[in-house]
Amino acid sequence: MELEQYLVDATMEVFASMISIDIAPEPKGGGLPAVAADISSLIGLAGDFKGFLAVHCPEPVALGITSAMLGMEVTAVDDEVKDALGEVANMVAGGLKIGVATEGKKIGLAIATTVVGKALRTGGLSGADRAAVAFATPLGRFGVEVRFVLS
Amino acid sequence: MNSFAEINDKLIESTIEIFTGMVMMEVASAGDPLEKIGPLKKSITGMVGLAGTHKGVLAVHFPNEVALAVTSNFLGMEVGEINEDVQDAIGEIANMLGGNLKTILSDRGRDIQLSLPSTIFGDEYAFSSQAESEQVILPFQSPNGMFYVEVELER
Repeated sequence: MELEQYLVDATMEVFASMISIDIAPEPKGGGLPAVAADISSLIGLAGDFKGFLAVHCPEPVALGITSAMLGMEVTAVDDEVKDALGEVANMVAGGLKIGVATEGKKIGLAIATTVVGKALRTGGLSGADRAAVAFATPLGRFGVEVRFVLS
Repeated sequence: MNSFAEINDKLIESTIEIFTGMVMMEVASAGDPLEKIGPLKKSITGMVGLAGTHKGVLAVHFPNEVALAVTSNFLGMEVGEINEDVQDAIGEIANMLGGNLKTILSDRGRDIQLSLPSTIFGDEYAFSSQAESEQVILPFQSPNGMFYVEVELER
């Protein structure tokens, strides 16, 4: 399963249709990309593909995404930013759902939650697999990650 | 859909059951449900998503010292820092609570699927879900301090 490609396609599609910021997936280096996050949005995935998807953003990128989505300047992390990032996670997960459906795997989506903090780290169960892609934007990098177990 | 009041009582009951039976720790409901919780400091949150007829999230927020005590009790080994064992233990508690919530919301848990649990931890963070959801936060007292069980369901 080309999970990284599904993540790239889903993310590019969301940005192309809703968020007018140029983004480019970073080439896969050795190991998984690490992105420093001030804001992470997570959404649970259930069904054949069980896990969760997370979008990790540093603050400037989160503000840029929200400003571009709402069409107005947003300068502080407020409820609008949390909602916007939650919506991005929701839409990327929707894209991933369509991607894996082509391989006959069904995903049910939970609701997105957004965590804002300092020195934020996320983890999953130790048995789960992980795929992640970092994207470059003019405002900095952000990451899209999925941790999952296939059944 | 069930009213939250009904869910609250059952969820309190099943939280106490899980802690008594699986974690071997006496915990008690500590006051009325809250609508909001301030920023969490030096804490770890375990969360699990619900999909299907009910969409939502169950999260359980532990201050680090409570998480360490819970993990030590649960795994039967001393842990001194937030490591992978603690993440697994807290994720598993979210998973068990999610399993019970599933049964509470839908007869025998049919038509609702759980995601894998995830954990979030850090020095300070605020937790929030998307706007169109109802939420409730249940405070509990453990021998090592307070912890919180939070449920958010899409309207």
